[in-house]
Amino acid sequence: MSTEQPVAKPRRLEAKPFLLADKIFFGLANAAAYSAIVIILLVLVFLLGRAWPAFAEQGVLAFVTGAGWDNSTDPILMRIGPMLYGTLLIAALAVAYAVPLAISIAYFIEFLAPKSLSKIATLLIDLLAAIPSVVVGLWGLMVFSPVAAGWAEMLNGGLSWIPIFAHEEGNYLNSPFIAALVLGTMIVPIIASVTREIFSQMDHEVIKASLALGGNAESTFRKVILPTSASGIVGGVLLGLGRAMGETVAIYFVLNLVFDRFNWAQILEPEGGNVASLILSKFGEANAQEVEGLMAAGVVLFVVTLIVNALASFIVAKAQPWRKAQ
Amino acid sequence: MSFVTAVERPKNAAPWSKISAGLRIAMIAGSVIPLAIASLVFFATGWDFMVVLLLVFLPLQIVGGGFAGFVGYGRRGILDGLLVVVTLFLSFFVLVLLISVLWSVIQAGSQALSPHFFYQNNRYVAPTSDLSFGGVGHSILGTLMIVGLTTVITVPLGVLTAVYITETQGKSRGFIRTLLQAMSGLPSVVSGLFIYAALIASGYSQFAGYAGSLALVPLMLPTVARVAEESLRLVPKELRNGALALGAPSYKAFLMVTLPAARSGIITAMLLGIARVIGETAPLLLTTFNANETNLNIFAGGMSSLPTYLYQNVNLGYDYAVDRAWGAALVIMILVGVIFAAARLASNSTPSAKKGKK
Repeated sequence: MSTEQPVAKPRRLEAKPFLLADKIFFGLANAAAYSAIVIILLVLVFLLGRAWPAFAEQGVLAFVTGAGWDNSTDPILMRIGPMLYGTLLIAALAVAYAVPLAISIAYFIEFLAPKSLSKIATLLIDLLAAIPSVVVGLWGLMVFSPVAAGWAEMLNGGLSWIPIFAHEEGNYLNSPFIAALVLGTMIVPIIASVTREIFSQMDHEVIKASLALGGNAESTFRKVILPTSASGIVGGVLLGLGRAMGETVAIYFVLNLVFDRFNWAQILEPEGGNVASLILSKFGEANAQEVEGLMAAGVVLFVVTLIVNALASFIVAKAQPWRKAQ
Repeated sequence: MSFVTAVERPKNAAPWSKISAGLRIAMIAGSVIPLAIASLVFFATGWDFMVVLLLVFLPLQIVGGGFAGFVGYGRRGILDGLLVVVTLFLSFFVLVLLISVLWSVIQAGSQALSPHFFYQNNRYVAPTSDLSFGGVGHSILGTLMIVGLTTVITVPLGVLTAVYITETQGKSRGFIRTLLQAMSGLPSVVSGLFIYAALIASGYSQFAGYAGSLALVPLMLPTVARVAEESLRLVPKELRNGALALGAPSYKAFLMVTLPAARSGIITAMLLGIARVIGETAPLLLTTFNANETNLNIFAGGMSSLPTYLYQNVNLGYDYAVDRAWGAALVIMILVGVIFAAARLASNSTPSAKKGKK
């Protein structure tokens, strides 16, 4: 009987570049990678630098939470509370509308459709993702808005006893409801492609085991597929949410902005808010002070979307262990 | 030693995949009857289409699906039938939305198209003038130049970033990936504001095409870097190590082995990046200003591009201007379609390449 030999730990191989050309090559790669950090920092520095006077004059908290925008007073009044709240409201509605559609499409492609059909459906979803937002906005303004206004009228007719569907004016166009539907159409493909990828990476043994134990398709979907892929889907939803909060032109086309009042939940009224659309609508004839205010609005929007996206990528990375950097 | 011959799988080896005649009849009945009743109600009463769809057809269809499931699998099958009906219904709804977008762009855009729409500019066009002259020629040139400059800047940057993530052992690889993910959600308006603050408000430059190009860089970089990273990761490690073992320096191993192996993926990355920014409007509105004339100088003077042309015309609001906007939308969609088809071809030329679209 021989005693056990101590086994040496496996060494990590590291190749240190010693040629000049290699050093240049890796140096370039490093520089390119750090350029991403530099860009983000530059965005923050320049925007903050321009926005500082506005923040200082209005007060950060008042600027973010107050209401009203008036350039005829002195000092000039700039508050983006209704805009920020409207951005969150519309994005949340859009996500609530898009998630069932996206999960259905992903389930259809991965588990229901025959191969040929699922290929075509995947192609169509990718195509929908490639349609530029300005084109979807034009469609939303010209084609979809009248239709959606009809839906809004029906909702109001049938469900007006629910407070959020109450409606006073005769105009159903340009409401947060319609903006959310247009935005939802835009983010369905984003959420669907993430969900589809999670579904396709799932361990099929688990699904087969569930079926073998007497589960039917529905209980398998509810108790096996959804819980296993939940965190990944949440990540995809947050990606869609980030895109929804930064969307500009499409919302500008289909939403009526109201600066001086919060529209808390009257989604059928033609009053809404959206930070990006505020920037676009005021930029054309803004005086110097207003430009500073718009920069400040940009800073707020940037920070909010950065938080949402950081959260999203963290959750997606947790949900997709196979995507770890090797 | 006796030779074992392969046993043929018996025909009834997969009993669960068989569909009995009764279930087949129930499925057909469960799909046809609701449709028939709903169309009867629709044509007889003249109610609104959406009301009939949601209040008559969908409940009946759910009952039909549940019934078919019940016939096939007893009580366990009812919910399965419901699941199939609901997912198919919602998927179909998405399909209708998509076809509606495409159809309206093609149908309304083709009204505005004519040969001169592609090569004339808007020099003598008032908002109310009809479509007999004027077009998007200057905008097509502007878009090509602006996006071209963006591509020239972004693709090397993105590919080198992907190299850093996949080929080096740098300490901050995970951080860079997370940062790129976060960057992909950068609102396009903020990107435009950033360039406006840095170059134009500071008096360094006037509104110009190249400012628009710079504003598109942060929007394009995450897409290019992510797809390039996916394609570099698909190159087998053995190739790389083989080259290194034969004494090639790292840069040669990358340029002569890894990069050619991942070529189609890199091309796909570039095309998807272009498709991502070709329709971006807000950053260009804040940086390139607008022009009705052809401007071939990207470093000075306002420059029109397809998305800003569309936006301006929608804002004018006159009928002819809106027609022009639809025409511009169709031209954008044609460009996107060409890029999309090219990306498909490029990514299909290697069988293992994944479609890295999010």
